[in-house]
Formats: sequence, C-alpha cells, structure tokens
Amino acid sequence: MTLFDIALKNIRRNLKSYGLYIASTIFSIIIYFTFVTLRYSDNIRELEGSSRQVSGIMSGSAFVLMIFVAIFIAYSNVFFMKKRKKEVALYSLLGVRKRSIGRMLFFENMVIGLFSLLVGIGLGFLISQLLLALLMNLMGLNMTLDFAFSLSAVMNTAIVFLIIFLVTSLQGYRVIYRFKLIDLFHAEKKAEMLPKARVVSTILGLLALGGGYWLALEDITTSQAWRILGLAIPLVIIGLTILGSYLIFRSVLVSFLHFFKKRKSLAWKGLNLMTVSQLLYRIRANARTLTIIATLSATTITAGGAVFGIYYNADRDVQAYTPFTFMWKGEAQEIDSSDVTFEASIQTKETRVTQDDIEMAYTLLDYTTFTTLAEQLGWETIEEPAEDELLLVNAIYDERWSPRVDDVALNGNSFSVSEHVTEAILNVSLVGPNVLVLADQQYDSIDAEEEVYQVVDMENYRDHLELSQALSAETENFTSATEDYHYAIETSGALLFVGSFLGLVFLVATGSVIYFKIMIEAEEDKGTYSILHNIGIPKKEMKRSIHYQVGLIFMAPLLLGLLHGAIALFAFSNMLQLNLWIPVLLWMMAYTCIYIIYYFVTVRSFKHTVLHKL
Amino acid sequence: MESLLVVNNVDKIYGKGVNTLKALDNISFTIDHGEFVGVMGPSGSGKSTLLNVLATIDAPSSGEIYIENDNIAQIKDEQLADFRRSNLGFIFQDYNLLDSLTARENIVLPLAIAKKSVSDMTEKVDEIATTFGIQSLLEKYPYQLSGGQKQRTAASRALIADPKMVFADEPTGALDSKSATDLLEKLSKLNELHETTIMMVTHDAYAASFCRRILFIQDGQLSKELIRGVHTRKQFFQLILDELAAIGGDADDVI
Repeated sequence: MTLFDIALKNIRRNLKSYGLYIASTIFSIIIYFTFVTLRYSDNIRELEGSSRQVSGIMSGSAFVLMIFVAIFIAYSNVFFMKKRKKEVALYSLLGVRKRSIGRMLFFENMVIGLFSLLVGIGLGFLISQLLLALLMNLMGLNMTLDFAFSLSAVMNTAIVFLIIFLVTSLQGYRVIYRFKLIDLFHAEKKAEMLPKARVVSTILGLLALGGGYWLALEDITTSQAWRILGLAIPLVIIGLTILGSYLIFRSVLVSFLHFFKKRKSLAWKGLNLMTVSQLLYRIRANARTLTIIATLSATTITAGGAVFGIYYNADRDVQAYTPFTFMWKGEAQEIDSSDVTFEASIQTKETRVTQDDIEMAYTLLDYTTFTTLAEQLGWETIEEPAEDELLLVNAIYDERWSPRVDDVALNGNSFSVSEHVTEAILNVSLVGPNVLVLADQQYDSIDAEEEVYQVVDMENYRDHLELSQALSAETENFTSATEDYHYAIETSGALLFVGSFLGLVFLVATGSVIYFKIMIEAEEDKGTYSILHNIGIPKKEMKRSIHYQVGLIFMAPLLLGLLHGAIALFAFSNMLQLNLWIPVLLWMMAYTCIYIIYYFVTVRSFKHTVLHKL
Repeated sequence: MESLLVVNNVDKIYGKGVNTLKALDNISFTIDHGEFVGVMGPSGSGKSTLLNVLATIDAPSSGEIYIENDNIAQIKDEQLADFRRSNLGFIFQDYNLLDSLTARENIVLPLAIAKKSVSDMTEKVDEIATTFGIQSLLEKYPYQLSGGQKQRTAASRALIADPKMVFADEPTGALDSKSATDLLEKLSKLNELHETTIMMVTHDAYAASFCRRILFIQDGQLSKELIRGVHTRKQFFQLILDELAAIGGDADDVI
C-alpha cells in the first residue's frame, strides 16, 4: 500500500468529517468561477473594451474575490489541519518518516483540491446560468447575454485555485516539520491566551477608518489629497477602511467583551459567561473573518446601492422631466387604450425675454390650463396670479447656480413672480424647462402666436412602448416618457447588469463565509456543549447562548459594513450629483433582510451540530 | 430514615435484535443520606454505565430509580437538565472544564445558571475554593493548571450548588498519586463534615479505600458488597485487594 493509497482511503473514509472543508472549497470555487464566466462572456468583454470604468470595476472585483477566496480557503485549511494533527502524530509515532507524512498530506490536499475544482466548475456553470436567468427576470431586461461555457474561464479558475491549493498543501508540509511530536498530540487541546485590549490599536483603528472616510468624502474637484495621490486614492481609501475595520474588531470588540465579562451582575447570569468567553477566545481568528465579512458587505451594499440608485433615478428623472406619458405638437390622435387617464389639447404661446443680457425662452400658459394640468399631476392648488403677477415654473432650477428671477418683462409690462415652481408642468424636451403662467385675461392680451399641443397621461407609463412608437410615427415633435425610460435603462443596462451581478455574487459569498466559519467552529465546540450538558445546563440556555454568539458574529460586521457602504454611496452620490438616499436605504433594508435569513439558517445548523446528539 | 437513592431492578440493554448487549442486569440497591459509596469492577463490567444511568446522562431500559421522591427514569428531557443542575454534582475523569473560562468562572457556572445573586456566588466560590485549597488559582485558565488542580476545580464546581448527591467517574484516573490522595482526602472530609452523599466509580483499590461502602459489579450484576465499618483505611484497602483477588480479576490491572 503506497502513501497515495492511504491518502485516497483517508478521504473516502472520512468524507463526512472532511465534508465541511470540501464544501467550503467547492463553494469558493463556484463563486469565483461564476464571476469569471461572466467576465469572459462576449458582451462583458465588449463592454470592458469600450468603457474603462467597467474594466476597472471588473478587475477590481476579480482581485477582491481572489483575495477573499484565498483567505477563506487558507482559514478553512488551518482548522482542518488542526483536526488532523493527532492523526499525523500517530503516523509519526508509528515510525513513518516526516517526509512521507508530508507527501501524504500534500497528496491528500491536492486530491481534495482537484475534486473540488471539478465539482465547483460543474456546479458553477449551472449556477451562473441560474443567477443570470434570475437577474434578467428581476431587472426586466431584454438583453441577450450569453454565458457560454468559456474555456478561458475554466483555465483562469483552475490556475488560481491550483495555486491556492499548492500553497495550502505546502502549509501541510510546514506543519510536519515545524512542530514537535508532543505539540502535535496536544494540538487540539492547546489553548490560546485570551487577547488583551490595546489602546494603541483602538486609536490607530479609529484613525485609519476616519482617514478613509474623510478621503472618501472629499470633493474631487477641490481636494488637495486627490491632487497629490491621484488615481491611487480609491485604493488608499479601501486599504485604510479595511485596516481600520480590522483594528476596530480586534480592539474595540475585545474591550467591549472584557468590560462585559468584568461586570459580574451581567456576566454571571445564565450562560453569558460562556458566551462572552467563547467569543473572546476566538477573537483573533474572528477579527480577520469579521473584517472580510464587513468588507464584503460593504462591497455588496455599495454595488447594489449604486445600481439600484441609478435604476431608481432613471424612473425619477423621467418623471421629473417628462411628467406626461405622451405629448406632441399638433392634432389629437385616436388612442385605443383603457390605460389613458388624461387627455387634453392645450394652447401655449412662446416668447423670448432678455434678462441680464441673457435671452431666455419662455412658454406661456393661462391659469385655467395650468390648473387642469397641475391637478392631473397631483399638485397642490396654486392661487391665480394677480394682474401684474405671474407664476414661474422652472423644471431645472438648482439653487446653486440658477439665477433667481423676481421680475419678468412681457410686452413692455413688468410682472412680478408671485410663486416659483421647481417641477415640470409639461414635458421639458418639447417646450423647454421654463414656463410662465399668467391670469387668463393677461394671457389673452399677450401678443404671440399660439401653438397647439396634445397631452396624454397613461397608467403604467413604462408599458406602452408599442403605442408610443405608433404615435411617434404619426406625429411630429413627439415626446414620450415610455421611450425616455427605456432609453435610460438600455444605455446603462450592461453596467447595471454587471453591478447587480457583482452584488449578487458578493451577497452569496458573504453568506457562505459566515456560514462555513461558524459551522467549522460548531464542529470544534461540540465538546464544550457536551460538557455543559453533562453538568446539567438546560438546552434552552445553550440555545440562547448560541443565538448571542452567532448574533454578534453577524451583527458587528453588518453594522460596520452598512456604515462603510453608506459613506461610499454618499461619496458616489456627491460625485454623480444623484440623490441616492431613498434607493440606498431601501437596498440596505433588503440586504439586512437577506442577511437575517442567513443568520437564522446558520443558527439552525449550529444548534443541530452541537445539540442533536446530546 | 428514608434512603436518598433507591435503585429497583434496573436493566440497560444496548443494541437491537440479536446484537444486544446487556450492560446492566437487574440491579437493585439503595444509598442513604451522607454515604460515600464506591463502585468497583473490571473493565466492561458495566460500572460506568451504571453511573451514567444514575446520573441521568443515560436512560435505563427498564426499572426505577428514585432520588428522594423523584423517579428520574420518568423525568422528561428538559426537566432532567434542571433536575440534574439542582440536585446532582458531577466529577469526571477528564475534568470537563471549559477551556475558555477561568477556574473561578468554571466553578460559578452552575450558580449563574440558577440565577443566584452575585454576592451569593462570590461568597460560595470563595468558600468552596478554600475547602479544596485552590484560592490562589481562581483566575487561571484550565490550560495553566495541573491535572490535580483541574480536578479540584471540577470538584468545586460539582459541589458549589450543594447537590443532594455527587457522582464521580474515575476522578483519580488521570492523576498522580499525591494529587489523587489530596482529592480523595478532601472528598471524604466533605463527606464526614457536611454529610455530602458521594458515589464514586473507580477501578483503583486505593481510591476505593476512602469510601465507607463498596459495591462490586461484574458482567452487569452486583456481585458483592464490602462495608468499611470500624476498619482503618489501610485495613479496608487490604480487604478490597483480597476481594479483587477472590473475584479473579487481574490484580495487576486494578492498582
């Protein structure tokens, strides 16, 4: 029997105890492969070729994913090796040479790696199709993105993971050579000192995080930092944030737990003592994973929030500048649809006014027409202007640079502005952003040519693309909210798709890291819970302790991730002049909900693992 | 006086169908308040099974077990944990201390679960730690303690809630002779002074000689009973050795 045979037999016989390790490697491969498949699909390649932003996002994400996957596998491997040290010691005791044991472990790990790679790529292909279909459906996109089985994606994944497995396998070798026999025997029982809270690292952590946030919130156009650091700045921000998170988890969390442990009235109640100690005990490994989770959460939140924000804004922008579904110049058209909620033929006059040396084009409306339109748009009633007054509607008013107009001269008479309205009353692309509303008599007395427009409003304005196209063919100067919306979605469609896909991949990644991390710990904790059972601790108390322990591991990185995401999106919205608050809040809520589902699934599995045999 | 523990016709059968193993076969005995009872027998005789069944860690296949008025064979799982915590104390061969807790925290755990007040708990811990001579070790973690110190910590934990009965499963099995003597002296002192009822499973004649009474078990059945009576501990030790030799167990194996 060769060592290779032993290695194979080990795997076959211990499939159950190796299960968690194999499952976590397969999972990492699926996630990475799904991403790479997307990246190598023709459409995305085209997009990458044409847009530097997209290629930047893609290579950045690929890098983050790669790091994440490598750390995750290394972490699982360390736990796995810890479990096996006793077995290794036994071989050594029986007189097997170190070199042979090392080779055996190496083989074993490589076999597991290759097996995971095969399964992972197979499943990854299926899952990428599934994710794609899901996403297309969610977004209502009619794009043809083909996720063909790409050989280069397979190659890329295989190379990345072979390197990772090679490194972890060599780690196995190192374990054999570095440790003494006695250590190997006690490996599983060896306890670490509880970590101490360090003031310095707390301060450093806060400084790093504060610095990262400060840089992120700087105005690009005026910032000194941006001028000095240039394009490296996003990397600096990410680096500082990650470092800050790590230090904060390590020190702030430790201080908090120590504080809690010292309060006897809090700690000496039920299993609180155990809960806190258990958390403290693993804080070093925890800090690393919590940082990964916080970073992944932040990435997911930012990507998702940005995408959802653009989406949300597309709708809002269309509604802001094209308040009526259809509007055109000229004769009315027969529209055969039950969705029509409003139809009107209106008259306007156009005039040009020179003000402060700038010639402005205004569309004039009489108050009666205005009220009809405003009612349809659901505005509050605005009082009719007096004889020497008018209402000024400016759809693109921005207090930062739009001049404030208080008087308008028409036909030699000066009218004072009785009210400023900053929303569009008519479709901006047809009549321009500026509309003046005069009392009916005053309107009649203005000497200008009248134009006739048709205004139509429909229910579910996004769904009338065919009607819109038909009308567009029949009329001149046609504007349509339906078409504007579809145009907006399609131009940013691919970008949106990439963003959502990344969001989804990272969401799955985050969930699975926490899940596997906690399940690995559950395996380690079985003994602890059976001790508790033996000394008569009720299961109810143990369950509560599990809820708290898992809860903290979930909550801490979520909170920090949400904060990171909020800052990133705030910076993003400043940069693009978008108002993202509502979509971002909605997205964060959605993310938190999904995250909570993960929490319950994890708690369930944890309880099952440690309690079902008691 | 009513007995503390009454065991009636207890059987424990492992496996199903043809492959059954009768680990306990129709066992009956009683233990009174304040007794220090040893259970001895060769490996595989069923002594650990007996302890597990009495300690409610395992359920008997048939028979009745009363601790005072509670038939523990009938208590449901969740209540069993409560019963165990408020009435029983355990000392295990491998200590069963939680690695992430200090000695003090390990000891206080049963009281914390019972939601006692902090001042109460502090007082009790100090008291029991003094009894077992581990006051100076209270802030240490299990991995910083020697085997004997760990076992004294575990014993403190078992006794802190004033249990009606303490079960000890080979408590000296992993200890050197000095630590073992130390622990056994402490236990028998507690038994004498506080009338703590203790049942200890052991295959070590020396450890057993600290008991007041010894039950021998063989192939799942009680085979013999020895009572120390007026004998000194040394004489009792000799009696036990003689008995073991008579049973035909390998005398080498039991010391």
